[in-house]
Amino acid sequence: MRISIRMIGLATTLFWVFLIAFSITAVYSVKDLHFDFGDPQMSMTADNKVVFSLPISIVNRGFYNIGFFNITTEISDEEGLVLARGLTFTPVIKRNNKVIINHNVTIDVYDLLQNHQDYLFSDGELRMCASASMRLAELIPVQASTNLSMPWGAPLYNFLLGELNYTAFNITHFRALVPVSFENHAFFDVVGNIQLRIFNSTSVLLGDGETVIEVSQGALYNGFVELYVPIAEMTESGYFEASFLTPLFDYGPLVIPFG
Amino acid sequence: MADTQSDSKTRLRKFIFKALKATIKGGLFYAVYFILWMFIAPISEIIPGFQQTVEAFVITYVILIIIGELTSGTIFQHFFNAAKALFVICYLILSLRGGILGITFENLSLIVDLRLFLMIALLLGLLGFAKSVLQAINYLSEKAEYPQI
Repeated sequence: MRISIRMIGLATTLFWVFLIAFSITAVYSVKDLHFDFGDPQMSMTADNKVVFSLPISIVNRGFYNIGFFNITTEISDEEGLVLARGLTFTPVIKRNNKVIINHNVTIDVYDLLQNHQDYLFSDGELRMCASASMRLAELIPVQASTNLSMPWGAPLYNFLLGELNYTAFNITHFRALVPVSFENHAFFDVVGNIQLRIFNSTSVLLGDGETVIEVSQGALYNGFVELYVPIAEMTESGYFEASFLTPLFDYGPLVIPFG
Repeated sequence: MADTQSDSKTRLRKFIFKALKATIKGGLFYAVYFILWMFIAPISEIIPGFQQTVEAFVITYVILIIIGELTSGTIFQHFFNAAKALFVICYLILSLRGGILGITFENLSLIVDLRLFLMIALLLGLLGFAKSVLQAINYLSEKAEYPQI
């Protein structure tokens, strides 16, 4: 019996030593794990989706490999509806190795603005949930996560139509100039058309016109839309219908009364 | 009279030897902890109260080692060895909170899944406990086989 007890004691001691040594070296290895985040890049895909790309450099100088390295980013609106999700997975980061990965998040701005038309005209906030998980020494799962709020800049912030300016064009028609102004607070340039249709108080279409816009990020737009309106059908009040056509979003008609 | 004197001298010598052995064992254990602490010290900056928790464990374990050594040669030694194994098991379960540790620092939350480590450590603790029980049985059976005359 003594021999078997000694054997149990010896085996237990050996396993304890192995377990403690492994745990301590695994913890110590975390100190030698370095993450560097590069400058985020933004690009457009062929189908007009916006891709955010974050280069991450991981240097593993620890004693063990890192397994199942995974970064997940979820962007959601204020109600918690997920708008975009990015996932980057690296199976193994070997010890004494440097790995550079690109974490991409693709946002379909068209879908976003079709479903959340408030974001066209009002600035707001988007929620971002980022989490990184890995297996230290390919055995111990570790997960870090954080919640951030991301400012959303409206592409047509403070969209306004000014006072109508009439000038006689011929006996039957006026030439009307409608001042259009807005600020592009979005992270992308707004390039496209604004179409404007004018209706009188009895909802009869009087005329339409359009203008080409090209407004870079953060810029203010001030322009005019030219319309030809029949004098006979013109009333003091009525409304405009504004439509926006850009590669990133289509919106309209936005009804704006006048008079 | 002379027999009683030599008996008490032998007992004293035995006790001093046991005390010396207990001190050396306790000292060695503390030295190992001291060396290993240098490697895991950075964790105490991340986890508040980590050092105190580890120190409480080391102090209790050293006390049990010393008591176990002082009572060696008696059945109490095996009781204390079993208590040591049970203490390790209970301590690990309580301090590792079931194996999933979560820390929140400002807006960042960190989760470490130590269930595999905990499972192995618990199995080793149970093995240590079984060893103490076997030692106690062995001690009692040997006493029964060779009664002191």
